[in-house]
Amino acid sequence: MSVSEPNTAFLWTIPALPLLPLLVAAVLAVYEPKDRRKASLWAIGALGTVFAFSLLALIGLASKGAGRMVLNFTWFEFGSTSLRLGWVLDPLSGIMLVMITFVGTLIFIFSTGYMSEDGNYRKFFCYLSLFAAAMLGLVISNNLLMLFICWELVGLASYLLIGFWYHKPEAAAAAKKAFITTRIGDLGLFLGMLWLYSETGTLLFYDGGNGCLEQSALSAMVAKSTLLGMTVSTAVSLLIFCGAIGKSGQVPLHVWLPDAMEGPTPVSALIHAATMVAAGVFLMARVYPLISIAPEGVAVSGGLQVMAWVGAATALFGSLVAIGQFDIKRILAYSTVAQLGYMFMGLAVGGVAVGMFHLITHAFFKALLFLGAGSVIHGCHHEQDIRKMGGLRKRMLITYVTYAVGMVSLAGLPGFAGFWSKDEILHSAWSWPVSTWPFWIGLFGAFLTAFYMTRQMAYVFFGDYRGGENEPHESPINMWAPLAILAASSCLIGLAGTPFIPLFQSFLDQAPVHNHWHWSVLGFWIVSMSVVAAGLATGWWFYGVETPKRSTDPDELEARFPKAFGLFAARLHVDEFYRDSVLRLPGWLSGVAAWLDRKVFAAAVGAGAYAVLILAWLSRFADEYLVNPGFDKGCAETRRGARFLARLQNGQVQEYLRVIGAALALFILVLAMGNK
Amino acid sequence: MDYGLIFLTLSPEFVLAVAAMAVMGLDLTVLKGTSRIYRMTAAAGVMAIGIFTAILLLQYYVKDASFPLGMLVQNPLNLLVKKVILFVALTIGLLATEVRFTRNVGEYYALLMLATIGMMLLVSTENLLLLFVALELTSLSLYVLAGYNERSRESAEAGMKYFLFGGMSAAFLLFGFSYLYGLGGTLDLGSLGLALSAHAADPLLSVALILVVIGFGFKLAAVPFHFWAPDTYQGAPIASTMLIGSASKVAGGYAFLKLLLIGFGAGGWSGSGETITGWAPLLALIAVLSMVFGNLAALAQTSVRRLLGYSAVAHAGYLLLGFFGSESDAYHSVVFYLTVYALTTVGAFGVIAAVQGKGRDLTLRDFAGFSRKSPEMALCLLVFILSLAGIPPLAGFAGKFYLFAAALKSDPGHMGMLAAVSIGVVMSAVSLYYYLQLLKQVFVADPIGPVLRVKAGFLGRSMILLLAFCVITLGCAPGIFLDLITGAVISVSR
Repeated sequence: MSVSEPNTAFLWTIPALPLLPLLVAAVLAVYEPKDRRKASLWAIGALGTVFAFSLLALIGLASKGAGRMVLNFTWFEFGSTSLRLGWVLDPLSGIMLVMITFVGTLIFIFSTGYMSEDGNYRKFFCYLSLFAAAMLGLVISNNLLMLFICWELVGLASYLLIGFWYHKPEAAAAAKKAFITTRIGDLGLFLGMLWLYSETGTLLFYDGGNGCLEQSALSAMVAKSTLLGMTVSTAVSLLIFCGAIGKSGQVPLHVWLPDAMEGPTPVSALIHAATMVAAGVFLMARVYPLISIAPEGVAVSGGLQVMAWVGAATALFGSLVAIGQFDIKRILAYSTVAQLGYMFMGLAVGGVAVGMFHLITHAFFKALLFLGAGSVIHGCHHEQDIRKMGGLRKRMLITYVTYAVGMVSLAGLPGFAGFWSKDEILHSAWSWPVSTWPFWIGLFGAFLTAFYMTRQMAYVFFGDYRGGENEPHESPINMWAPLAILAASSCLIGLAGTPFIPLFQSFLDQAPVHNHWHWSVLGFWIVSMSVVAAGLATGWWFYGVETPKRSTDPDELEARFPKAFGLFAARLHVDEFYRDSVLRLPGWLSGVAAWLDRKVFAAAVGAGAYAVLILAWLSRFADEYLVNPGFDKGCAETRRGARFLARLQNGQVQEYLRVIGAALALFILVLAMGNK
Repeated sequence: MDYGLIFLTLSPEFVLAVAAMAVMGLDLTVLKGTSRIYRMTAAAGVMAIGIFTAILLLQYYVKDASFPLGMLVQNPLNLLVKKVILFVALTIGLLATEVRFTRNVGEYYALLMLATIGMMLLVSTENLLLLFVALELTSLSLYVLAGYNERSRESAEAGMKYFLFGGMSAAFLLFGFSYLYGLGGTLDLGSLGLALSAHAADPLLSVALILVVIGFGFKLAAVPFHFWAPDTYQGAPIASTMLIGSASKVAGGYAFLKLLLIGFGAGGWSGSGETITGWAPLLALIAVLSMVFGNLAALAQTSVRRLLGYSAVAHAGYLLLGFFGSESDAYHSVVFYLTVYALTTVGAFGVIAAVQGKGRDLTLRDFAGFSRKSPEMALCLLVFILSLAGIPPLAGFAGKFYLFAAALKSDPGHMGMLAAVSIGVVMSAVSLYYYLQLLKQVFVADPIGPVLRVKAGFLGRSMILLLAFCVITLGCAPGIFLDLITGAVISVSR
């Protein structure tokens, strides 16, 4: 893959993409428009414009067949050391740009309805724009440092938006949890970055052969080995993967993501489903050359193996826990955790195109599901418990239809987006040389996915309404229109990556399009279709045939397998486990610190205060009887000295000139002494 | 000798000279009797056309050239510095239209351009004699400009002091040059450097060096040759102060650096450890004195312009630290710093000019409540003042950083430079006090009496905004300008 030269002049305009939303965020931060709709209008306008330009850039990239265009510049330089930043436009960043801006614009529009009654409307759009700017900056960075800065900025935006309703204690706690948990992963990323810099001397990804992801740097890193016989490249990429684990909610750092659902639903859709949590997957796709390189004779690098197992474990874990949840958004959140696991698994077993394809399709249908959930919540007067819903099929028809599209996409019904992308992951997992276990786990996860989505559909849309007096209502057009658009694109986006004409994959891999169809594919289809059908059927048998009548009825699964269900509902006790293990030490330490503070330091400070009092008394005594007379004398001397200095600058030119003469004599003396 | 080539090389200066004559001629003939604003605008317009043409000529037409005896050397670095000087002169000329300080409009612009020609020659010559002539052309124009307001006693006094002080130091400088010529037997800086290395131990060389340092120390307002600076900064018409405080510093500082690096041998400091010419300890002493004295004296000032005068003394001290870097570091840091300093100074004085009109001298207290009346100008002033104080991410920080780093890198093993730089850092902290005093008045203090009003029109405001933009950009992305300098330095280093 070569750096193509032709017509790179327009690359200068690429930074405008993140800068435009940033500008809107800055303006909204200081200026309050009289008509508050203006705030959303600016934000939507900016992101919409960026979408148009991203689309142009992507089309330009695709039509030229140009592989990768980079533009690096020196930010700071001293002597031979220089810090260079840059941005990159390649299929990977191009696709991400279009996805983020497209989904983002729709979610912005949805927010105008969802947040219409919120008092902090302007602030909400300010934060959203800040997030969009940081996310776009992350995607176009050609430097790990710049990427890291944007990475932290999206983390900040996420923190601000999860805690948007900070008056709710749960929201404030969730924001803190998200910030701190991801920070643990970021520590790994930061260390990895430092290590990478010390090994290669650059943080630029691509730099005409000198970048840290290019051949010379990679082969140097793979040749060196370090701790436990790992190659340096594997060690560095695993540290970077830590950051991705935190950001993308993978086991064991997944605990923040479900709690993040305390934020407004558009935020969950944009940040915690479609874009930010996928940034971890994007990061690993970006540094794929680093993580995938293996020494001679090793088929699969250590980094990829770890990634595959983490992904598979997360996919299983998320799907299991999702079964036992009653909060409509938490089900989706655990589903997101699981799907992100699929993405990592896809990256590890099948390469960039496989993982990224699932990222893109997932972004569409998960944003759709979250917005649909938002529409449901809005319609049900901010009720999130699925036991208190039901029968919404008739009352919210558009939401129902679009939600159903999202659900079958996620479950992986043939023809819909999730089918194509998930099937490709499973297909690649089958032929993974290390183990076929990820394949079986993935297959089981697919069954669970179909099951819990059916359960949710049955609870929310079928049967009778269990919510009491307040009748639910359909959402306004500015909320259902984005749903409809997303539903349509969820159906269509999958067609870009079918095995027949794998446009998406060949664009990402820069390979000519050729038909991947093989009769073995049909075998996989049959297997996965029957698994999905089994999941749907089981779900329907449990929940659909006979829907619960009252909101207090026990769950069907709970009635049959109370132990297992209790475990899922309690999220396999991971939070409690952390509370009792990892968090014990800081808790104990803070107790010690508090005790020290209250007893030891307070006593010391008190003693100090008394000592100061005594000193003060002594000093007052000394002052009045000893110092004051001396000070007066000193002042008089200083004044006399000042008068002398003032005479130096008294406006008398003759004096000034005399000083030059004096300086001449003085300097000659200085040099004469110095030269000895 | 190829006279065509001389003309080609000097075409920007020539164009400026023509523009200067044209301004004077127009003012005395066609525009006679018209209103002052009209004459001012017309004169500024002619000046702008002249400077623009000169910049375009420098950019696209003038080629690298070198004439015998170093009379005239045109290389990328000189070209770059010339462009900076021209740009600064242009902003000053345009800002001056807002001040309306004189009836003799034509002469002001003519003198401004003549001084600029002098500075350009100063930048591009490597010959002692021509260096002196160019310096005098600059200085004589500046003397007149300093005393330009014929109805103000302060202006006359400022001009007189500047003239006497300048005359005296010019005499020292010429005296020093004569010694140099006597020792080296040549006027060309390049061959002088070679010749002088044979006379390393000669005490006469030390005397010559001191005399030269006095001459340029005056230009830079370094202690103890700074006495003119506060009086002149305060008393001279502000349109002249801007030129004296910025473009003249750029030309003088750059010429001084070239004189030392080429004429006295770059090895004078960093090479063998044996200081052949011994300018390093002398300059270090002057730098430290300037930083300490300038910053401490500024603490006590109440007049804003006088305060900036003392701050200029301090900045001369910082600047001299950059001289100790290796040849490439020294060029880098000094040229970058001079540019940044010139832009910032013009901007700061521009804001004062914009509110002052032709009125009285402004004290710190006069600025109370300024931000409430004109927030955008107050914000620009904040940018300039914080840049002078060296706060990131403004250009002044980057400039100071490169100076200090250049000085530190030159002498890693010894403590001398570390001590000097430490004093610089400490004094920067001290300077923050008086800079913030001004900003406190602007942003925090409650106004007493009428609040200052911005009298400048669209042109003046947009020039100030442009300068503020430059200061921020150079601070956030110094690489843009440093790349230019790097390219030029590579082609120059021998």
